[in-house]
Amino acid sequence: MTLLQINNLSKTYPDGTSALKGINLSIEKGEFVAVIGPSGAGKSTLLRSINRLVDPTNGEILFNNHNMVTVKSSQLRKQRRNMAMIFQGYNLIERTSVLNNVLHGRLGYMNTFSTLLSVFSGKDKEAARQLLQRVGLESQMYKRADELSGGQKQRVGIARAIMQEPELILADEPIASLDPLSSELIMNHLYTICKEEEIACLCNLHQVDVAKKYATRIIGINGGQKVFDGSPAELTEDIIAEIYQSSKKVLVS
Amino acid sequence: MNAVDVQKARKIKKLQTWLIVLGIVVITIWSGIETDFSFESLIFGSREAATFVFTDLLPPDFTVITGLIKPALDTIYMSFVAMVIGAVIAAFLSVFTAATTSPHPALQVFMRAYSSLFRNIPVLIWTILLTASFGLGALVGTLSLIMVSVGVLTRAFAEVLEEIDEGQVEAIRATGANYFKVLAQGVLPQFSPGFFGWSLYMLEINVRASTIIGMVGGGGLGFVIQSNIKLFQYGQVSMAIILVLVIVLLTEWLTNQIRERII
Repeated sequence: MTLLQINNLSKTYPDGTSALKGINLSIEKGEFVAVIGPSGAGKSTLLRSINRLVDPTNGEILFNNHNMVTVKSSQLRKQRRNMAMIFQGYNLIERTSVLNNVLHGRLGYMNTFSTLLSVFSGKDKEAARQLLQRVGLESQMYKRADELSGGQKQRVGIARAIMQEPELILADEPIASLDPLSSELIMNHLYTICKEEEIACLCNLHQVDVAKKYATRIIGINGGQKVFDGSPAELTEDIIAEIYQSSKKVLVS
Repeated sequence: MNAVDVQKARKIKKLQTWLIVLGIVVITIWSGIETDFSFESLIFGSREAATFVFTDLLPPDFTVITGLIKPALDTIYMSFVAMVIGAVIAAFLSVFTAATTSPHPALQVFMRAYSSLFRNIPVLIWTILLTASFGLGALVGTLSLIMVSVGVLTRAFAEVLEEIDEGQVEAIRATGANYFKVLAQGVLPQFSPGFFGWSLYMLEINVRASTIIGMVGGGGLGFVIQSNIKLFQYGQVSMAIILVLVIVLLTEWLTNQIRERII
């Protein structure tokens, strides 16, 4: 069943940069899709358009039969609950506890008043504790987020995302700021949890080998256009070269 | 650029430096003449001042200290109340003033102008304006301190808000949180260190300012100083001045302690 259907999506930034030029793609429920492409290809803009952290210029994004491009703000917030995001820079609230950061995943479901007072339900707290246990951070629960290492922060980021009980996770370069060991740990966590909870994942990646290892499908983007969409097996050296081609040309000249 | 051009550029640069120095000297001399400044009267005046300090002001009259406790406490109350009320109002207003949190750009411009007005009317003028409607006393002092505190802190808090990490705010927004939830959970944790830091600094400023506004009718120690000068009770004046110094230094020490503890 199709979870996300993107039709002819384009985005031109106010400074004239055309980041996306008519992207079409669809994501099935529970798929783990990697998006690869050179820096500046539009990977980030694509992901951020889906949850409307960026407003697309044209096209439609159908998520659960809601067009994310045109939904009203209350419906937008409701749909954002179903699509969690994981960031390259982790984007945890640094000055608050690890536990609170995970509980932030429930904000969309809570009433505003208890949010203002930071009163989280016992049920949510228990769920957050269990999630932290799953990513191996139960002992760090009451530490402040800024005391954690990069890899630990990203695990909190994953826990926060899962806390939303989403149908889709948008992971924007989740391992780009991490060392190889932490990167593997993070990808393993992300992959296993998505599989276990049957969550679809759209994951921007720099590393082709990582994409090949985890993804059920790979999408190649270059210059704001989709240049490849297929299984990891179909991604040959020639196609990889083609995806990264124009950026190589720039390097040479 | 060839060697000749480089030489030329350096010469122009040198000339500029000399022109700036010359300009400063000219303006200083001109201002000095216009204000009848002379070293002669400065030396003569210092002698007068020294005589005044040692024969009239000193020694301070320690016997009046019991009578000064109430005005001294008034000074502290005024500064503290003004800081707390000012900080609360300013925290609220700064949300509309900062580019990162303002619901609308037009509101932001309006709020900037508004806080600038409050800030740039000196506290003395506020006191004189307010004594006209509220009469003499500590209430007027407190009110004028609040006016300036609101003006200064709104601007300071807005700047704190504009420097917060947008990524953290974005992460909260991405969970489906509404505006108020984003403020409470994404913005507030980043805002609080700046909030406390600036508020404590405002307390120090208020303590200093409160003695001055006392002189124009704002109550507290400033009022005591002003009325005793008129009565030539210089022993009491110097006692009050010593108390002001003690309060200012104490506040500074105390706020530093608090700052170190909580930030």
